[in-house]
Amino acid sequence: MPPIVQVNDLRKRYGDIEAVRGISFFVEPGEVFGLLGPNGAGKTTTVEILEGLRKADGGSANVAGVDVFSDPSGVKRRIGVQLQASAFPDNLTARETVRFFAACYDLEVDELALLRQVELEERAGQAQAKLSGGQRQRLSIATALVNQPQVLFLDEPTTGLDPQARRNLWDLIRGIQSRGTTVFLTTHYLDEAEILCDRVAIMDEGNIVALDPPRKLIDDLLNRGFTKPVLQQKANLEDVFLDLTGHEIRDA
Amino acid sequence: MRQTVRLFALLLRGYLRDRTALFFSLIVPLMLMVIFGYLNLGDFGRVTVAIDDQAKNQSSAQLVQILEGIPTLQVTELSTAEALTKLRRTELDMLIVIPKDFVIAPARPGQTVPELVVYGDDARPQQVAVGRQIVAQVIDRLSFAVTQTAPVVAVKDESVQGVRLRYVDFLVPGILGVNIMQLAIFSVAFALVADKQRGVLRRIMATPVRVPNLLAAHVLTRLVIATGQVAVLLLVALILFNVTIVGGLVPLVIVALLGTILFLTIGFALAGWATTENQVPAIAQLITLPQFFFSGVFFSKNAAPELIRPVTNLLPLTLLNDALREISVQGATLWDVRTQILGLLIWTVAGFILAVRLFRFEKF
Repeated sequence: MPPIVQVNDLRKRYGDIEAVRGISFFVEPGEVFGLLGPNGAGKTTTVEILEGLRKADGGSANVAGVDVFSDPSGVKRRIGVQLQASAFPDNLTARETVRFFAACYDLEVDELALLRQVELEERAGQAQAKLSGGQRQRLSIATALVNQPQVLFLDEPTTGLDPQARRNLWDLIRGIQSRGTTVFLTTHYLDEAEILCDRVAIMDEGNIVALDPPRKLIDDLLNRGFTKPVLQQKANLEDVFLDLTGHEIRDA
Repeated sequence: MRQTVRLFALLLRGYLRDRTALFFSLIVPLMLMVIFGYLNLGDFGRVTVAIDDQAKNQSSAQLVQILEGIPTLQVTELSTAEALTKLRRTELDMLIVIPKDFVIAPARPGQTVPELVVYGDDARPQQVAVGRQIVAQVIDRLSFAVTQTAPVVAVKDESVQGVRLRYVDFLVPGILGVNIMQLAIFSVAFALVADKQRGVLRRIMATPVRVPNLLAAHVLTRLVIATGQVAVLLLVALILFNVTIVGGLVPLVIVALLGTILFLTIGFALAGWATTENQVPAIAQLITLPQFFFSGVFFSKNAAPELIRPVTNLLPLTLLNDALREISVQGATLWDVRTQILGLLIWTVAGFILAVRLFRFEKF
């Protein structure tokens, strides 16, 4: 199968700053692909170009068989998007929010079924603004699924969530992948990338500095003779936290 | 079309749930109307005028008689010296000095025209403005009568009609106009800039939504709210103040909606330009405040300083208020107020161009 996302020599500059310096990569259909990197590495710029939200300065990008530069709205029709630091229209319920986005795609959808898929069915009539952080992220994913996208872009989906809500979202993302949707996510959390992603690209200063399955990147590092200065613990503080407070999600 | 309607239905639902916005779009205008209407704040009663008739001829007697016949004016004859003292004590609003050479006759070439001198009390600009207006009209008609032999009686009739107007009858169209302006500018600018700042627009732009449909949905939402606002205000005006609306309700609502569209374009332009919510009130006040005072909302538009009147007379709200008032008070038809409507349309085109130029979804 041809790659579902194909990026060649992509470039973007803001004034004097070269945010993206000619990166190339591809994403296989059906995989969870992670784009990692410190703040300012160029992750969000890259993702927003692929989503048709930002114009690139050079190179080419093809998403779900559509050239992003020449047909951004064609891309938008085929992908689902969860943006960093975005919000929903005011004073709508969860269900109406889903309906609003369905209207944006000019589609009729079964809103309750979508909410069920993200475990929000019982919150359908609740004001969107009154949802907890984790619930809002789930609603955000529901709105990204209204058009049954071929690729789901998630920009730092678990930032600001408690450990229970993060794990709950991971399960959700795996579920989406198992139904055949390609997932393209950016994250700061390396444990998240390690657990969720089939392959990760690590970006720094506008370049991709590594791209492989997480396991292979780790093995390569160890093969180069790397050892952790502290002996690996059998459990960490997060394990303690989850042991004491349980895996049960709390924002319900 | 279907997309517009669906988006509109949801936006309207959200808007109606926003109690604060509803409060400002309905309660505040009602409060304004009730306060100004009940307290009769703009009703200044009569204008007290002293006349110093230095000519004492047939022409001057005719002028004095006409002025005395105008109910708005309370006329007394006083010498200039006496009258000026009274003016300084604000016991008088105006003094009219009729010069010795006063005649009502066609001016011969080379001859200087007699000059009426009008003193006004600066502390009571409303009354003075009205008084001056009446005097100017009377003189105009007198001159007209002399040169064109049109009946002098017409002057009296028109003045009487003007006076029968209660303040609240005058006020209601002004309140309608100012609230249309406030609602259209503030509701669009605040809502869209908030959406922009919070990333709502960004999220929406990640969908293939057609931007004109989205904007149309926003416009429709405001048109519905504005119509509701106009309806409530008119209902209260009719029930509570027994306001007479001489012209038809349909032309009134049509002009109100034209005004709404005009101010919506300004709201969109402002929303397009502003990047933070803090910028909105400052600029919105800058746009609305001069119109609030100079466009004939609570008082005659002639209350604006004479120097800037050529400008204030062309302000969008002045045109809107004029049209609304002529329909409501004088029973004008849409055709009668075509000049104002044309003005509103010109402003709308200008606002639309500005909005298109300034509106950017991409600028976050």
